Amino acid sequence: MPSILPALEWLEALAWATAIRESNWGYPIMETAHVASIVAFAGVVMVMDLRLVGLAFAQTPLTRIQRPLFPWQMAGFALSGVTGLLLFVVDPLRYYGNVFFRVKLVLLALAGFNALGFHLTIFRKVGRWDEDPLAPTTARLAGAVSLLFWSAIIVSGRLIASNWFN
Amino acid sequence: MKTKIIVALLTAGVLGAGQSALAHHPFAAEYDAEKPVTLTGTLSKMEWVNPHSWIYMDVKQPDGTVQKWTIESSGPGAMTRRGLKKTDFVAGMSLVVKGYAGRTKPAIANGRTLVLADGRSFYIGTVGGPNDGADKQ
Amino acid sequence: MSQAYRESLWLFTVTQTLHLVAVSVFIGGILIVDLRLVGRRAVGESHAAIARSAQRVLFWAGPAVLITGIPQFTSNALRYYASPVFALKMSVLAMALLFTATLRRRVVTADNDRLPAWVPRAVGTVSLVLWMSVAIAGRWIGFSE
Repeated sequence: MPSILPALEWLEALAWATAIRESNWGYPIMETAHVASIVAFAGVVMVMDLRLVGLAFAQTPLTRIQRPLFPWQMAGFALSGVTGLLLFVVDPLRYYGNVFFRVKLVLLALAGFNALGFHLTIFRKVGRWDEDPLAPTTARLAGAVSLLFWSAIIVSGRLIASNWFN
Repeated sequence: MKTKIIVALLTAGVLGAGQSALAHHPFAAEYDAEKPVTLTGTLSKMEWVNPHSWIYMDVKQPDGTVQKWTIESSGPGAMTRRGLKKTDFVAGMSLVVKGYAGRTKPAIANGRTLVLADGRSFYIGTVGGPNDGADKQ
Repeated sequence: MSQAYRESLWLFTVTQTLHLVAVSVFIGGILIVDLRLVGRRAVGESHAAIARSAQRVLFWAGPAVLITGIPQFTSNALRYYASPVFALKMSVLAMALLFTATLRRRVVTADNDRLPAWVPRAVGTVSLVLWMSVAIAGRWIGFSE
């Protein structure tokens, strides 16, 4: 299997990547934007998951919470994704080799599949259980899994900076 | 509500007290505050990068051999604020670095003070470490 | 004894990581109301029930944020004491708490038809800015050596 390393080295050498890597303010601003957008996005997702598992907002129909928030969620996810991608390009070799970065990406994919599965199946019939304080079992499961995954994503993201297991 | 706040504060206090004084920060996981080092040698390379810079220097040992040291130091923003420039680091120049040696890895240190050949001295520490900033020049 | 010492080396990073998760849930509880206030559909929709539930989330996540935040401070007291960014974070936090407990609470429990449309939008925006600034300042402490 061809090595990805030359591609990563090419990315690392890009002028703008180098500029950010050596910047006084650019990197701190980008990294802070990444952390802030994740906190906002994951925070909203996890609070909605609390509704799904029945721990909060039990008296409010799910869609009444979810519908107005959905565009903001997408914006928050887009911002985290874009800043994350840019941060990766600034130091691709370091992140590629970092176990917590790899774990974070796997967890992101899994969280995405969980969300997709939820939206394509049980959420399609939300009209039937929207007002129930206790959602159907599959919905509660999806919510619990999401809570777990997003907490783990935040944890692994923070541990990328720790230099452990380098 | 009040009870929750009191319980929260008590737990926080206990958690805080439970941390060893040397458990400052991730610094303590990699570097040993009980192993201060002073490295005198020549600069081999300086990686002026975020989030932390890396100084690579050749340190001549008493027996004539050269030991290659890696020193973790502050990022470009902090360096600039303290008066250093990327161009202050020229390969081959003499320098002195004071810091704390790594816990397990050999020839690695967390830099605290940099003294250039012209005598100028700078604090190059990263966040964490003993006396947190009190050992600034 | 050395086992306990080694464990304590991990404690700072672990508590900081848990602090991040608690902060996220707390911010989620804030945003779930603020984003409704600033959203296009704000007019005509009552926020009181959602705000009450959100407050419960804040009352659980808030202490968690405290419990995980204080040990970070005590283990690094000299540095945080001297940090202007930490002081800024605490000042903005005080403002955010005050604003949330007073003006924002009034607007959120008010009968929406009686308020001009710009009021919930303004209050939601101020709240958003205040709370996100606390979070951002928290991260910025690490960049402000």
